[in-house]
Amino acid sequence: MEKLNKYLTLYDKILIILIVVFSVGMIAYPFVTAYFNQSEDQEAYIYIKDKTKDINRIPLSDTYKEDPIIIELEGPLGISVIEAHNGRVRLKEAPEEDPSKICEKTGWISKPGPSIICVPNKISIWIERSNSELDAISW
Amino acid sequence: MRTRKIVIIALLVGLGLVLHLVENMIPLSFLIPGAKLGLANIANLLGLILFGFTAGLQILLLRIFLGSILAGTFMTINFYLSLSGGLLGYIVMSIFFYYLRNKFSIIGISLSGAVFHNIGQIFTAYLIISNDAIFYYLPYLILLALPTGIGIGLVVIFTRNYLPREIKGIDI
Repeated sequence: MEKLNKYLTLYDKILIILIVVFSVGMIAYPFVTAYFNQSEDQEAYIYIKDKTKDINRIPLSDTYKEDPIIIELEGPLGISVIEAHNGRVRLKEAPEEDPSKICEKTGWISKPGPSIICVPNKISIWIERSNSELDAISW
Repeated sequence: MRTRKIVIIALLVGLGLVLHLVENMIPLSFLIPGAKLGLANIANLLGLILFGFTAGLQILLLRIFLGSILAGTFMTINFYLSLSGGLLGYIVMSIFFYYLRNKFSIIGISLSGAVFHNIGQIFTAYLIISNDAIFYYLPYLILLALPTGIGIGLVVIFTRNYLPREIKGIDI
C-alpha cells in the first residue's frame, strides 16, 4: 500500500474517491428508493423482452408449480431457453453461437434489480413489482 | 528512428492481441456479467505514452480488428461492443494524457480509460437492446474498474522502467 502511494498523485486519489462515491451511490440508490416506497403488496412479474421489442410478462406467483416454466425464444443467433421456477428465473441455455454466454452465466434472479441480458441475442429478462398499464400477456 | 518506431508499434499490436485472447480465457463474468480485466489496454496505453495519439490509436484499432477476426467475432455485436468501449476509453485517456498530465499519473490515466471503457460499452449495449435495466450493472462494473485500472497503470509504469532510454517517450 505504501509502495502504491508513491505512484499516486493527489488528483489520482481524488479520482479514486470520486469513482468509489459515484458507484457506491449508484448501487445504494435503488435500495434507498425501494425502502421509501415499499410496494410489497403489489405482485411481482417476470418481464421478458425479445428481438421484436415486445414485452411479455408472467406473474412470479405462477412459477410455484411442480414443473418449471420453460420458454424458448428465438433471437438473431438462435434459440435461447428460459426457465422460471419457484419464484426465480434464469436463462438456461444460450445458443451455441454466442461466444461469451454472459446471460447464461448470470444465473438465477429472484428480485427486482438485477437483470439477465443477452446483448447478442437481443433478449432481456427482469423482475418488476408493479401494476403497470401493460396488458398482461401469458404464454 | 522511423523503422524502429514501426517495429515497436507492431510488437505492441502483437502484445495486445495475445493479451486480448488471454483475457477472454479468464472468467470474471461470474462476478458481474460482462466484467473483464482490460489487459489488452496495456498495449495501447503504452503506445500512447511512447509515441503519442496516432500510434496508440493504430495499436487499438489493429488489435480489435485482428483480435475479432482471430476469435471469429468480426462484425458481430461483440465486435461493436469492444470497439465502442475501446474507442471511448482511449479518447478519454488521450485527453487526460495531453491536457492533465501534470495532475494525474499513469495510474490516473489508466483508471479514467477503464471507467469510460465500461460506460461506452454499456451505452452501446443499451442502444442495441434498448432496455434501461442494463444500467443496473454499470456501478458494479465501474467499481471493478478501480482495481483493474490501477493494476494496468502499475503494469505500464513497471514496463516503462525496463525500456531503453531512447524509447521511453514523453516524460511523465
